[in-house]
Amino acid sequence: MKPSTASDASQETRLEVDKVSYKYSNGHLALNRASFVLNSGTICALVGVNGSGKSTLFKSIMGFLTPPEGRIHINGEPVSVALKRNLVAYVPQSEEVDWKFPVCVKDVVMMGRYGSMNLLRIPRAPDRQLVEESLRRVDMWEYRDRQIGELSGGQKKRVFLARALAQGGRVILLDEPFTGVDVKTEDAIIALLREMRSAGCIVLVSTHNLGSVPEFCDQTVLINRTVLAYGPTHEVFTEQNLMAAFGGVLREFQVERSTVQKHDGRMVRIVSDDERPLVFGKDGHLEYLDREQHEELIRKRREEYDG
Amino acid sequence: MDEWTEWLVGPLRYDYLLRALWVSALIGVVCGFLSAFITLKGWSLMGDALSHAVVPGVSLAYLVGLPFALGAFVAGMLAAGAMSFVKAKSRIREDATIGIVFTVFFAAGLLLISLFPAQVDLKTILLGNMLGISDSDILQLVLISVITLLVLTLKWRDLMLYCFDERQVRALGLSPRFLHLTLMTLLAATSVAALQAVGACLVVAMLVTPGATAYQLTDRFGRMICIAMGIGLVSSVVGTYGSYWFNGATGGCIVTLQTLLFLAVFLFAPKQGHLTRRWRHLRHASRKEFNT
Repeated sequence: MKPSTASDASQETRLEVDKVSYKYSNGHLALNRASFVLNSGTICALVGVNGSGKSTLFKSIMGFLTPPEGRIHINGEPVSVALKRNLVAYVPQSEEVDWKFPVCVKDVVMMGRYGSMNLLRIPRAPDRQLVEESLRRVDMWEYRDRQIGELSGGQKKRVFLARALAQGGRVILLDEPFTGVDVKTEDAIIALLREMRSAGCIVLVSTHNLGSVPEFCDQTVLINRTVLAYGPTHEVFTEQNLMAAFGGVLREFQVERSTVQKHDGRMVRIVSDDERPLVFGKDGHLEYLDREQHEELIRKRREEYDG
Repeated sequence: MDEWTEWLVGPLRYDYLLRALWVSALIGVVCGFLSAFITLKGWSLMGDALSHAVVPGVSLAYLVGLPFALGAFVAGMLAAGAMSFVKAKSRIREDATIGIVFTVFFAAGLLLISLFPAQVDLKTILLGNMLGISDSDILQLVLISVITLLVLTLKWRDLMLYCFDERQVRALGLSPRFLHLTLMTLLAATSVAALQAVGACLVVAMLVTPGATAYQLTDRFGRMICIAMGIGLVSSVVGTYGSYWFNGATGGCIVTLQTLLFLAVFLFAPKQGHLTRRWRHLRHASRKEFNT
């Protein structure tokens, strides 16, 4: 699969968040001097509980909010300029979309091209070609004439991924990409995100799904009113860091019996903010339902990242 | 046959009727076009509010001797500004804000009209008067309609994106505020035009019903616009002609026609019609029974 025009692997991309702060009207700090830097070719998770300032930060990178203090730069330019260059693409949460709107799949994907079209937004041949290419990449070309409400949860998600592809953004922002999506689609989405990473994009995923983060995100930014830690996922995902981020917001849930092993003395530590909890064994290793397979996968991902 | 033709086409010899017909056709098309956006953006209430809020502007313009469209437009934009100001600066919900602001404007308009009954005709403003339209009014309406049509034709894709996905507008580096203002201005301008045809009370029907009817007939936005424009055109022309025959209020005729069309589509639309779906369901069930 060849990357589309704008996603040229030779293009370096850099996202800098520098001492970004927000205050509530009552003077409390919603976000205090949050800073991190991401470079080309990464899938990075933005992790934090509700009210941690995660969505504020996410919206600032999308340009929906302008931080009163600090700055956010993409390739050395402010977000507003980067938006005009079509560098930032956004995949919305399913709840944010009006699924009854009278548009079909290819109309939606074409909306990704508007920024590159003339003022009348009349599609030209290259626009149509990019739309087809993007839809084929997410395996949705045969549904191109369907009204968007007539799709399954996973198909809906893939349409908006195709729109981000067609736009050719270099920084791709995804909000809870796996909500309402079946396992097969989840794998397909992850495969696509990895392709984008290979093409040099910065893929930033905001998620509650802690359990899936080590499986596909090579970097993690951990947020609780500020950036607690950021860097390679296997370094950031320590029990200590996660307790700092999630301490006090634990919930009750069922644990698969297989994760509670004898060698852990039947004792595990659980960190969760969603349906897939993160389970730590005695010595702080990660527990999974199918542990061997997962550890193999995570080891491979880590090698890829280090290499 | 000749008698019939004469009976039907004869009145078209009257200049004033012919004029009323083509002006209402134009207004119907413009309102239909805009209604596609208003229905999907959920601005029906806003359309109703603006069409009432322009009344003091119209009255004042008549009193001072300015073009009525100018007064109406200024009043409409003032009302829209007041609504967004109150909404931004208080905790009151949007619908309450709209309710408060538009009634204030409408009340002021009624007061003006009752104070100067000689200069301003209450009936014309509230119920419209297509058959007695003056040449200067026609000029204003044509200007408004042509500009609105032009802007909509050039910018409909951007406005569609704004109605569908405001975040994507931002992500593309375009300005949602600009598109919001454009749509609001078009709405104010169009309610002024529709005011002349159907009166302040029924403007909202012109701005919603064609769009709502077309929405049930198609899954493509471009087609929805065309259908809504067609409904606006046909209902305005036939309604105006009908009002000549019945000697009834033009607005009443046009809006009744639109509502009948809406009902027919609501019941019999091929995909989403209430009865069509029910019938499909029954047929499906009986076939199942037959097979087992």
